[in-house]
Amino acid sequence: MIKFLKSIKALLEGMFTVFKHLFKKSVTLQYPEELPNLPERFRGGHTLKGCIGCGICQQVCPCNAITIKKSGGKVTSYTINMRKCMFCGNCQYYCPVGAIKLGTDFELATDSNKELLNELIETNESEADKE
Amino acid sequence: MSRMKLNLGPQHPSTHGVLRLILDVDGEKILGCEQVIGYLHRGMEKMAEGMTYLQYLPTVDRIDYLSGFFNSYAYVTAVEKLLKLTIPERASIIRVLLMELNRIASHLLWLGTYLLDLGAVSPFFYTFRERELILNYFEKISGQRMMYNYFVFGGVRHDIEYVNEIMPIVKTIVEKLDDYEKLLTDNPIFISRTKNTGVLDREEALAYSITGPNLRASNSHLDFRSQSEIYKKFEFKIAKAEAGDCFARYKVRLEEIRESSKIIYQAVDILLSSGGEYNTGLNPVNLNIEAGEAFADVETPRGLTTCCIKSDGSGTPYRVKWRTGSFYAVQILPKLLTGNMISDIMAIYGSLDVMLPEVDR
Repeated sequence: MIKFLKSIKALLEGMFTVFKHLFKKSVTLQYPEELPNLPERFRGGHTLKGCIGCGICQQVCPCNAITIKKSGGKVTSYTINMRKCMFCGNCQYYCPVGAIKLGTDFELATDSNKELLNELIETNESEADKE
Repeated sequence: MSRMKLNLGPQHPSTHGVLRLILDVDGEKILGCEQVIGYLHRGMEKMAEGMTYLQYLPTVDRIDYLSGFFNSYAYVTAVEKLLKLTIPERASIIRVLLMELNRIASHLLWLGTYLLDLGAVSPFFYTFRERELILNYFEKISGQRMMYNYFVFGGVRHDIEYVNEIMPIVKTIVEKLDDYEKLLTDNPIFISRTKNTGVLDREEALAYSITGPNLRASNSHLDFRSQSEIYKKFEFKIAKAEAGDCFARYKVRLEEIRESSKIIYQAVDILLSSGGEYNTGLNPVNLNIEAGEAFADVETPRGLTTCCIKSDGSGTPYRVKWRTGSFYAVQILPKLLTGNMISDIMAIYGSLDVMLPEVDR
């Protein structure tokens, strides 16, 4: 009998604990309407500025996602294959001039294969033009 | 008599991964069980042979994605032994702090999903809410929630930041643990499903090489943290239970969260009061590693993880061998399941905290 009452008490306590949460503030984020507050170090989509074409990022990339083309000492093409990239951030950490950066852009879904081959040298030049 | 073979998995929501169990059942009773693993095999060991030491570093987080810091630690320590590198004091304390936070996050996830398997839905939301606090902190310091790539050869990548935020997080979690205990420890439904089911005695556990909380729930005190160099500065008790059933495993894990919080408090105190180097400043792009072998072990939330590297003097490892705790926990399943009912499968399997990516690697 005592055991029965004890178990009833435990069940009621459990129910009360759950019931308390009914009046607490919601912790979830309504994603497409509300955007998450991402930290500075978040590893998302890449940006490139001032690449010297040393090729260290190619060396340290675990997925061989980076292709650099050079002609006459100048970088003509810098492509990141977004299908391969695993956002480990190695390219950013070991870049000697801090050219490649992983930003806070995380909405990278697309419906075309071409857009997944991220050609970064264009953003580089257009940004240089602005300055 | 209605004896038949019953296939459970590989796609089953309660296996938390892809494990296939071929059950030999007589009505509701299990007469035998054969486990089929390998559905999540990614070739983590073979992969290393085609990569440089640095390239392999971000991928080791994926071996057990719920406790990435532990895998990184095992690999990084093994490479440091090959390089004959001693890491700064501060770096090793940062490593301990992050690993213990990761242990709490991993145990919280286990608690939530285990109860979900048993049919309780609300604790799942509570534990995930608390786990989110830790993951948000990890995101702040390393850039991602689960794939950290934060430990490097010779220390950690950045000096630790936002140290003041850790204490409130851990305090909240320890307070909420009492809430969970109110929900569960005296709950008659939970007790009747977990007590005296899946009893694993000490000799059997040792014979099957079970480590971690599963072994400590079977009246053993084997914890590799107590033998580890980096844990020598910290005082903590080894969580232990005697019964060896599912309930004991639950108790051990809750106790481990409390003990981890004690280590975290001590580590935060040391980090706040002292400075120093967090990295040896080694440039790991072109590592010059001599031929030889190195071995490193770490006590993860799921048992002993070891990493053994053989180097032949070239830029890539000759062979990398991983030993993970969950692999051995799967091997004991036939022994534990035989004689039980079908409804006990998930209560027993869930209590072992098996992580399938870690089993198959």
